[in-house]
Amino acid sequence: MSVLEQVIHVVAETLNVSPSTITRESTAENTNGWDSLAHVNLMIAIEQTFDIALDVEDFAKLNSIQSITKFIEKMQPDQA
Amino acid sequence: MKKNPNHHFATQTRRALKEQASNWSKNLSLPETHALTKRLSETEPPEKEFRLGVIHTYTSDLLDPWLHFHAVTQGINLKTYHAPYGLNLMESQKDSGLYAHAPDMILFMLTLDDIHPEFSNPDSGLHLHQEDDLFQDAVKRVLEILAMFRANTSARIVLTLLPPIMPPALGIYDAQSRHSENLWRTSLKKQLAGALNNAFESTLFFDMDQILADIGRFHFFDFRFWYASRFPFTPLAANEFARRLVNLMAISVYPRAKVIALDADNTLWGGIIGEDGINGIALGPEYPGNTYVAFQRRLLDLQKRGFILALCSKNNTEDVHEILDNHPHQILRRHHFAAERINWLPKVDNLVALSDELNLGLEAFIFVDDSSHECDIIRSRLPQIEVIQTPSKPIDIPMCLEQVARLEILSLTEEDALKTQLYAQEKQRKQFRQNASALGGDLNSYLASLKMKMRIEIDSRKNIARLAQLTQKTNQFNVTTRRYSEQQILDFTESNQWTVSSFTLSDIFGNSGIVGLALFHKLTDKAIDIDNFLMSCRVIGRSAESAFLYAMLDYFARMGITQITATYIPTQKNNLVADFFNRHGFTPENETGHYKRNLSASPLDRNLFPPIEIEIENTGA
Repeated sequence: MSVLEQVIHVVAETLNVSPSTITRESTAENTNGWDSLAHVNLMIAIEQTFDIALDVEDFAKLNSIQSITKFIEKMQPDQA
Repeated sequence: MKKNPNHHFATQTRRALKEQASNWSKNLSLPETHALTKRLSETEPPEKEFRLGVIHTYTSDLLDPWLHFHAVTQGINLKTYHAPYGLNLMESQKDSGLYAHAPDMILFMLTLDDIHPEFSNPDSGLHLHQEDDLFQDAVKRVLEILAMFRANTSARIVLTLLPPIMPPALGIYDAQSRHSENLWRTSLKKQLAGALNNAFESTLFFDMDQILADIGRFHFFDFRFWYASRFPFTPLAANEFARRLVNLMAISVYPRAKVIALDADNTLWGGIIGEDGINGIALGPEYPGNTYVAFQRRLLDLQKRGFILALCSKNNTEDVHEILDNHPHQILRRHHFAAERINWLPKVDNLVALSDELNLGLEAFIFVDDSSHECDIIRSRLPQIEVIQTPSKPIDIPMCLEQVARLEILSLTEEDALKTQLYAQEKQRKQFRQNASALGGDLNSYLASLKMKMRIEIDSRKNIARLAQLTQKTNQFNVTTRRYSEQQILDFTESNQWTVSSFTLSDIFGNSGIVGLALFHKLTDKAIDIDNFLMSCRVIGRSAESAFLYAMLDYFARMGITQITATYIPTQKNNLVADFFNRHGFTPENETGHYKRNLSASPLDRNLFPPIEIEIENTGA
């Protein structure tokens, strides 16, 4: 699975929606249920799934599939 | 991507997941938790529904994935409602979202700051001489708030306080100081819990500090989420809090556990007594024997919680007795077990026999054994019994019952703590009776020789917890099996329309504690209905039920009541009382299960009163 696919999977699982409703273009703004509360659980899920540690400053930036994917690819260059 | 150590749990059954929950649930990631919840809800839809309402002053909504996950593993379909953020008293009203949710439990997740403004005053510098006033004030405020909620609901109220996020103000020196924060926090918790206990029924102070102690402050708080979103918990803490909370739900939706039936070899000690002998088994101050000693101590703790211990072992009786009586490091002696089956019969038969002897249904049993073979047989042949297989490594033995939901308790009565002793008295009584009949005595002379005394209390508020417990736990000698909460029983004692009457029974062997309860509903000045009449199995066979009924009928007759009606509602378990009213001078009515007795047409015949001395105390009047 590519990082993008994994991110889509994690976001869908956390927001409890079908993966088909989440795309590369999905953002907190255009996705139902991706509110500030769900965002906390999403941050937890991303840390656990990709075994990385996020700074509190990163939380607000990681508000779209693209930004999350890019961030993880940068943290894990071997998987890019 | 992170290696997933939990992969093999993806296909396990709910039962397997539940039994192993302690080992792995803390390692599950949030997406895995979601996925497992979804799968279990589909493959094994939970049968029990439980409705939780949460009043919170910090983010609680995010706990839902963990709450739902643990609920599903316990077979509970959990519906949660999180009130809008804040300690909002509007939620206590009948038009609130909380009220509309009709919760079985209301959880108050508060911080110390919420219960008294002085706790949030950074300048307050708590001093010992102020503590008393401040605490009293804080406790009073909490009680006032909870009373508003209690007025509109009989849901169980659970109050929990977030542990302190910062270590004590005085740091390492705290314990040494007269102003020790840890000490005053403990004292405040004690006062709060005590006040809750006295003020309302069905309340619980849930001490979240226990979780903090178990996993440590560094692993409990995630400061990023706390300061950014007011969500205090790490996934580890969220999981553990949810697991314990769901345990509280599980004990209220499932039949109460009453008996821990224990295997002996490789459960109470390491090794096999028949092969290794008294000097060869692992039991004593060195590893691995010390793990078994620790486990036995824990079993004694569980006995203090009110569970009775029974032995169920494939062995020669004398081999096991040799250890119980003579091994220097054995903690559980023969008198700690209310009953035993030590023989070579199948354990299925022995568990059924134990259930008969103790007069307790199989669903009240928790069976503990190291053998997967024995455990599997019991699981398939006696599915009512909860089976706990002890871990294969001795190091895991002492803690192996910590995660069993049904071994938690929500109240503790004096009777609970003495349970095994009471069963031991019963054993002696049976022996006495056998000896008496061997000598040719009849039942009445046996009863008279017990020199029984019955003490009846009417509308007493002293033992509400025990009375509610009796309605909830008694299955066999129970004419209507109507279950009541502590709050409902309390309401009955205070109502003019109801009479709550209970009894204790003592004899030459000891005192039984409160073992019988009857609820009478006044219909008119001349008529009452027996809403329920029940008795603990412990005192069956001593005519106490007749003495109790006649004493109460006599009591009502003196008050001018002539018409008594009663109902028998059959269940799978209460066949024992099917003819109870027939045998006591009641006549069946046309409608099945309904009985009546007219005390002026058929007055009480004192010759029928059993040989029991009766004393009545009306404390409610």
